[in-house]
Amino acid sequence: METQLSEKLRIIKNSTRSFCDRELRPIAREIDQEGRFPWEAADKMGALGYFGIQAPRQLRGAGMDTLAYATVIEEISRVCAAMGLCVSVHNSVALFPILKFGSDRQKTRWAPDLATGKKIGAFCLTEPNAGSDASGIEAVARRDGNAYVVNANKVFVTNGGIADICLIFVRTAPEKGPRGISVLVAERGMSGFVVGDREDLTGMRANPVTSIRLYDCRIPSGNLLGREGQGLGIGLAALDAGRIGIAAQAVGIAQGALEEGARYAGQRQQFRRSLAGHQSIQNMLADMAVDVEAARLLVHQAARLRDAGKPFSQAAAMAKLFAAEAAGRVTDHGVQILGGYGYSKSYAVERYWRDARVTRIYEGTSEIHRMVIARGVMERYGQ
Amino acid sequence: MALKIIVCIKTVALQAPDTKGRIPREAYTLNPFDQPALEAALELKETCGGHIAILSMGPPWATAALREGLALGIDRAVLLSDPGLAGSDTLATSTALAAALERLKPWDLLLFGSRTADGDTGHVGPQTALGLDVPMVTGAGKITLAGEELRVERKADGLVENFHMDLPGAVTIHPGGWHLREISLGGIEISYSEGTIENWSLADIGLEPDRVGENGSPTRVFSTRPIRRDKACAFIEGPPSEQADQLVDQLKDQGLLD
Repeated sequence: METQLSEKLRIIKNSTRSFCDRELRPIAREIDQEGRFPWEAADKMGALGYFGIQAPRQLRGAGMDTLAYATVIEEISRVCAAMGLCVSVHNSVALFPILKFGSDRQKTRWAPDLATGKKIGAFCLTEPNAGSDASGIEAVARRDGNAYVVNANKVFVTNGGIADICLIFVRTAPEKGPRGISVLVAERGMSGFVVGDREDLTGMRANPVTSIRLYDCRIPSGNLLGREGQGLGIGLAALDAGRIGIAAQAVGIAQGALEEGARYAGQRQQFRRSLAGHQSIQNMLADMAVDVEAARLLVHQAARLRDAGKPFSQAAAMAKLFAAEAAGRVTDHGVQILGGYGYSKSYAVERYWRDARVTRIYEGTSEIHRMVIARGVMERYGQ
Repeated sequence: MALKIIVCIKTVALQAPDTKGRIPREAYTLNPFDQPALEAALELKETCGGHIAILSMGPPWATAALREGLALGIDRAVLLSDPGLAGSDTLATSTALAAALERLKPWDLLLFGSRTADGDTGHVGPQTALGLDVPMVTGAGKITLAGEELRVERKADGLVENFHMDLPGAVTIHPGGWHLREISLGGIEISYSEGTIENWSLADIGLEPDRVGENGSPTRVFSTRPIRRDKACAFIEGPPSEQADQLVDQLKDQGLLD
């Protein structure tokens, strides 16, 4: 069984890699420079199942497991982190919560279009005054007949510029604090649903990150995901799944930078030998390779635990923390190996370096993850 | 008329052995020249309806290429594997494939890649067709069904030849004739959850061991070594327009430009 799993994973990896090398690699630099979302590639990815990797086949998904999902995200991100981000967020924090917490009617209504990439999903939690402290959100939803009237200002929404289906975190019962937070599904086109300006970001530039604002937006009560007050639980479950995807994204970025660095080190000659013949470069390459392997193993461990139905939050937090920080180290070495060319946009490695930086920030900052992991350590080993 | 098609495929290594003669399993993949043959089969099934099987002769672990075929929508996958087949040259391979194909009858059309990326002989398709006594066209760039006969366009050295072929028949596919579609994730999942690979041995195809394997192989490869290519720079002199003309002529002479 284990051999068969490896063969299947290899086929998934190779087919994703060959697709991305063919469709994304030639345009990765241009879409980053222009800040353009590559619809032509996204449409093909939708047809191949990338937008519904773990969704059940009855709902037009590919029906795969978390390990497969992590592999796909890593391979996309190895070539284009911005698309890796799009696919990861869409799958894990938009589609997944609908599949896990949605009613049958809601799943039938939204999941097939999301799983096939006909519609793109987004997760709207962060606000100007509520980032890591998510329970500080101010968005409110007031019940009015068979709808909620929602006022919200959500920022840094990944996929915001192209999302059709947005999970909005709101206070339905402000007096209950964190227990009064709920999730409503808002759809582009609803009256009062406004896509704000696009953020001008350092990296992930092909992803249209925007704000999403709701002005007295009437959302039907049938769009409530789960129960009122279940928002915190939904958010945590979503982010737990999401951090495996982001960790896989960081591994992909690091892998890409490692390959760029190694390739250059083999070609460039200084002091009558290739860079790879110099010990300081060898040290960098070795550290990069170990970082990538270790990060990948942590991601796979978290994925396997989730697939086995075992608690995986700690493993996911560790994977995300380590992989994001590893991506920072690896891409930094990558730039250094390429020297002056590493600082030039004519070479890909600086894009990997810019893309890597945000992985320590979104879907839980490294600081938040350290808190989560420390809590786990104390539960396990503390007196 | 719905077509029953069988595509013969091979798992090959795309990298040379290391100093100890080993190649890691991950370096093995579907023969790139078989990819257009699979696409040709899939397109014919889409147009005419029917059934596609893939047949591969190889070691027992060479299942990935068949799984990829199942992921693409192939209906049936057969792996012919037996220790007695090891060391088979192209003739012994063709003998074995022909015996297996006898047992897979009835079929209308056999498709082969033009050659393999490892052996590179191009023998197996024609030899197998001969062993089965069916007509063959090589280097097909286009295939259409007209009633009960096949119209095949053969691409050869700047010419296109048109053939009308009775069925059952066999065709080898020109590498540029078709481009294999992408494998979908859902297809891969179905391939593993619902697809099966039938494992056939020598006993299943009723062949005597001395007709295959090393004993059944008139050809034996004594050794292989990589070719060393020395890189040389050729400078084209002259004003830019003349340089461009010369470059185009050189590329045409080398067959790199039409």
